[in-house]
Amino acid sequence: MNMRIKEHPILGKIQKGPIVTFYYDDKELEGYEGEPVAVALRAAGVMVHRHTQKRLAPRGVFCAIGRCTDCVMVIDGKPNIRTCITPLSAGMHVQTQYGTSAKFVKKAEGME
Amino acid sequence: MKRYDLIIVGAGPSGLSAAIEAAKCGLKVTVFDENTNPGGQLFKQVHKFFGSKEHKAKVRGFRIGYELLEEANKVGVEVVLNATVAGLFQDKEVTVKIRDAIYHYKADSVIVATGAAENTVPFAGWTLPGVLGAGAAQTMMNLHGIKPGNKVLMLGTGNVGLVVSYQLLQAGCEVAALVDAGSKIGGYGVHAAKLARMGVPFYLSHTIIEAEGIDHVTGVRIGEVDKSWNIIPGTEKHFAVDTICMAVGLSPMAQLLNMAGAQMEENPQKGGCVPICNAYGETSIEGVFVAGDVSGVEEASSAMIEGRIAGVAVAEYLGFINKKELTDKVEQLESALDKLRQGMFALENRGKILEKTEEGYDTSMNLLYKGFCTEAEAEKYPGVTKQVGVHAVIECLQNIPCNPCQDACPRHCIKIGQRITSLPVVDKHKICSGCGLCVAACSGQAIFLVNEEYQDGYASITLPYEFLPLPSKGDIGWALDRGGVNVCQSEVVSVKFSPAFDHTNLLTIKVPVEMAMKARFFKGGSCHAQD
Repeated sequence: MNMRIKEHPILGKIQKGPIVTFYYDDKELEGYEGEPVAVALRAAGVMVHRHTQKRLAPRGVFCAIGRCTDCVMVIDGKPNIRTCITPLSAGMHVQTQYGTSAKFVKKAEGME
Repeated sequence: MKRYDLIIVGAGPSGLSAAIEAAKCGLKVTVFDENTNPGGQLFKQVHKFFGSKEHKAKVRGFRIGYELLEEANKVGVEVVLNATVAGLFQDKEVTVKIRDAIYHYKADSVIVATGAAENTVPFAGWTLPGVLGAGAAQTMMNLHGIKPGNKVLMLGTGNVGLVVSYQLLQAGCEVAALVDAGSKIGGYGVHAAKLARMGVPFYLSHTIIEAEGIDHVTGVRIGEVDKSWNIIPGTEKHFAVDTICMAVGLSPMAQLLNMAGAQMEENPQKGGCVPICNAYGETSIEGVFVAGDVSGVEEASSAMIEGRIAGVAVAEYLGFINKKELTDKVEQLESALDKLRQGMFALENRGKILEKTEEGYDTSMNLLYKGFCTEAEAEKYPGVTKQVGVHAVIECLQNIPCNPCQDACPRHCIKIGQRITSLPVVDKHKICSGCGLCVAACSGQAIFLVNEEYQDGYASITLPYEFLPLPSKGDIGWALDRGGVNVCQSEVVSVKFSPAFDHTNLLTIKVPVEMAMKARFFKGGSCHAQD
């Protein structure tokens, strides 16, 4: 289902930048340039941004203003990027974060 | 190291207001803000504010944001964005993180206007994607044009919970219910009434047991709580929602002040740990002031006035104006602030159930417990009168600091008087022209125009309407009562919009005359499906 608001009763038509392509894990997605990465992901139906290190619990957008750091992902190879306040740009590589990296690394038993 | 007369931390409503006043007095001011855009949370406030004309009542929050930015620009305030203030040290040295570097600045005075952060309630499943702050939902839909979800359950019935629920409906989301562990609705009755008449249910003395879902929310279970906040067995309810919003209060973000060694106090009425300050906002550290939510959570309207007071106070502290000028400037501001802090929702009334209004009318208990008043309750109030021909019916039953309706009426039919919290009175001796300016001016959407002699056997009701698609003249639909129940079929007989209404459209519907004091909302679409 399309989550984007086409026309708002108070704000009217929502102004957005040009459409750009970006990469989410192994998928190619589209979003509007300059909007937060989290918004482009939400529009594409992506809810899970990362999995926690210890319990692998899924996390997504929580505060949407860059305060809680729950929505961090690996962007262009750099982990812990707050997707809710990072503007989307063409060709960006956005990856699900596992713990603090893009690849799931299982720690040995008893290391927690 | 760069030096300033005044450094302000935070470019929200209070920080910008402080900057404007200080700059007007001749100070060299810079404002640091960690965000990409100035305005704090103002730009996501798409509703009309309460208060009086001086407090910019009936103006939508985001427009106030633009006005503040323009004013700040005009008086030469420098705003540095993407700049996180990381430390406040001795002799007012401020460290600021800009990109990957830390910069040092020095000021003769500092105003900390860092605002507040949303609180959370931990329940089973609260970390699942799909559980988010009410402010986060606002950010997504009102700033970025995206729905946070399709079907939402709201936890919290304070003004934030009520206003954001309404905004979710405006964005096209479904609101399944509002839930609050408290036994009564926390926010303004008029905000609750807007939701109730659209059929949104309230579950008071209820809380969330568990958010369900594997990797995102697929449902939620709630239950009724007893006096010691334990779930009463057998009271569980389930909602299939994809989103849970939390509007459970705000906490001041006073860490910088705490770190700088300002005297702090734990004050639950102010929302948590706050700096101790005087009437001008000066903390225990000389030359370090505060304004806005950081020193006690209130509304944006009061934050802007506090900001102006702190800005002027700093100007006096640094000798840009004298004591006399300070008292002159502050006197008016303080009286305005005082007015905003009156009424049934004033600090000293928090948690209390008031049996009577200031005027001695019986409080509408239904408004507190169900989110809407009954017809019988409404009829006792001075804004609800029976008259020949079209007239305003004002269902504003609580003493709240708001009076735009009084100024809106060109025929002076509506009186509130000097006391801003007084209930509006409809003067029967003045003739209503049916212009509808009061309907659009009411931030609480509590004013309706009723004409019981519209046609033989039919009454007309004009109501505020802020949704899309906007119904057209001739549309047939349901008239809903205050509790959102379909009471009769009705026809849209007129749709008015005007720049003066600022997107609050006026819908006039025709209903059988016995429904004149019952019908309060219109739902378009096919009646037949539900017949």
